[in-house]
Amino acid sequence: MAKIPPYLDRGDTIGILCPAGYMAFERAEKCIEILQSWGFQVKLGRTLGGNSPNYFSGTDEERLSDFQEMLDDDDVKAVLCARGGYGIGRIIENIRFKKFKKAPKWIIGFSDVTVLHAHIYSNFKISTLHAPMAAAFQDGENEYVESVRWALTGRKSSYEVKAHGFNKVGTAKGELIGGNLALLAHISGTSSDFKTKNRILFLEDIGEYLYNIDRMLYQLKRNGKFDKLAGLIIGGFTENKDTDRPFGKTADEIIHEMFKEYDYPIAFGFPVSHERDNYALKIGVQYKLNVNADKVFLDES
Amino acid sequence: MNRKRFLNSILTLGALPSIPFTAKGFDDDPEALTTPKYLKSGDTIGITAPAGHIDHEEIQPSIIQMESWGFKTKIGATIGKKDFTFGGTDLERANDFQEMLDDPSINAIMCARGGYGMVRIIDRLNFTAFAKKPKWIIGFSDLTVLHAHLNRNYGIASIHSKMCNSFPDDWSKAEIIQIETINSIRQALSGEPMKYLLDVNPSNILGKAEGVLVGGNLKTLETLSGTKSDLNTAGKILFVEDTGEYLYSIDRMFWHLERTGKLSKLKALIVGGFKVKKDEGDEEFGRTVYDIVLEKVKKYDYPICFDFPVGHQKNNFALKCGVKHRLEVAEDRAELKEIVSTTK
Repeated sequence: MAKIPPYLDRGDTIGILCPAGYMAFERAEKCIEILQSWGFQVKLGRTLGGNSPNYFSGTDEERLSDFQEMLDDDDVKAVLCARGGYGIGRIIENIRFKKFKKAPKWIIGFSDVTVLHAHIYSNFKISTLHAPMAAAFQDGENEYVESVRWALTGRKSSYEVKAHGFNKVGTAKGELIGGNLALLAHISGTSSDFKTKNRILFLEDIGEYLYNIDRMLYQLKRNGKFDKLAGLIIGGFTENKDTDRPFGKTADEIIHEMFKEYDYPIAFGFPVSHERDNYALKIGVQYKLNVNADKVFLDES
Repeated sequence: MNRKRFLNSILTLGALPSIPFTAKGFDDDPEALTTPKYLKSGDTIGITAPAGHIDHEEIQPSIIQMESWGFKTKIGATIGKKDFTFGGTDLERANDFQEMLDDPSINAIMCARGGYGMVRIIDRLNFTAFAKKPKWIIGFSDLTVLHAHLNRNYGIASIHSKMCNSFPDDWSKAEIIQIETINSIRQALSGEPMKYLLDVNPSNILGKAEGVLVGGNLKTLETLSGTKSDLNTAGKILFVEDTGEYLYSIDRMFWHLERTGKLSKLKALIVGGFKVKKDEGDEEFGRTVYDIVLEKVKKYDYPICFDFPVGHQKNNFALKCGVKHRLEVAEDRAELKEIVSTTK
């Protein structure tokens, strides 16, 4: 199992920054307020808000140095990526993890942050937190937002979800790995690539063409990523796009068809997604997945 | 007799068992590359739909044209077949392609159109007979899967070009650039040495290079990464093109090439057409395709040629993947030329 960074206590500091796309400061205000209400202090990175004229929250150098400082800052116990978008792949090779390896801290986020999750777990065997980011806090607290709090403070998660018609019943134990399908496919063959053997893999995505979801799954399949899984968790595949000639299958149908040949347990419709339903999940931590006829349980073991 | 021809001749005699192709890649030795036999008048081109669906009617202009070049055509069972976007089910498409691969009366296989679907059947195909007696396989876009797979695993050349769905309906009314593009397929298939004179682009990086040409659709190449169809680009001239991608996605794909080591050992880079999808809302990416490419390759010293006539556009000239070429990028001119192998 991966090394677990120290859990947070009241008074500990969470750093907030934008390593990828730009985010206006106002959109993170509610998040800051809630984190403070939980008893944490907040340290703001220079890449949150700011005056970047384009897509990114700053130049590569600015985003890199902001992230590096948070990573190396002894006062910061966790680093929350305020938003994803695109951009971590541009700086990942230049991040120095030397100090972080010795003194790990929680790295939090999803979507583009999938690159960080896979990179850190594969290279350093350190757990990270796949979880809602700043925008998810805007409508106030809900069970998904709160799952971040419990994950950071060391309460073992125990998620219960209703069954889905495509589920494959069974139980599995394994370290959790996964995230955004497009990013997981994209890092194939790079130094951030990940192993899936005996692990529970989870996948989610947004705004992809259905044929491209199919193609990315074929890539992972042909890379042997599906052969020896312990279990599989399918999250939300939302806002899918289709071509003029319809692909003829929903995302769930595409995935269902792809995994027919495997006999490990599979849970569809799990709350991990770009929508409101997005539970905090610890990468590299051992979980028990129990898929039965009417319920799905995912318990941190 | 050069080694290539020697290898061909013994293979056709069936004296050798099939070559065990290792994960290392057959393409690591450029001298071991095989060029299928060029076509002559009376030879047959098989037409199949391994990816997207296409009707009989849509391929008629290509049949008329290829027959006017003196070739016969053979229509595969997948033409007219439809399984939603696909030209038939995976099994139907794989069977049709397999028959074309194994049919000795077919001298070349033209994919009727791209779309999506090749990767779903590539691992079902058996290339044993084909590897013993290679034939030209023609297509682009989604068929980049085939070009990469053949280069990586069998070192067999293939033709990256327009497909049946791009032949002009009325040849007499077609634009010159369309006619030249389609004619370049005939030229490539017939074994006329390829030569491309290019417009000068101010972003070009000057230089000369020789190497085996590989490449195709950038997104498709990325989705092959890590698989057994993944390209090895070391010592080669890489060409890439794409369509309908956001700038951020193009940036991410070039980072992918860089992070998988596919840019560091190139002999040269050829950038074809990139039809960019407009940024959404106020999320301006702030970089052009030129910026994106140059940012990744500025530390390398090989020549780079932009706006090469290859891509999802009218000027998309036939390129022989897996064949040695020479690229010369000068201030006042740029030229890509096939290196015709001579008997040693």
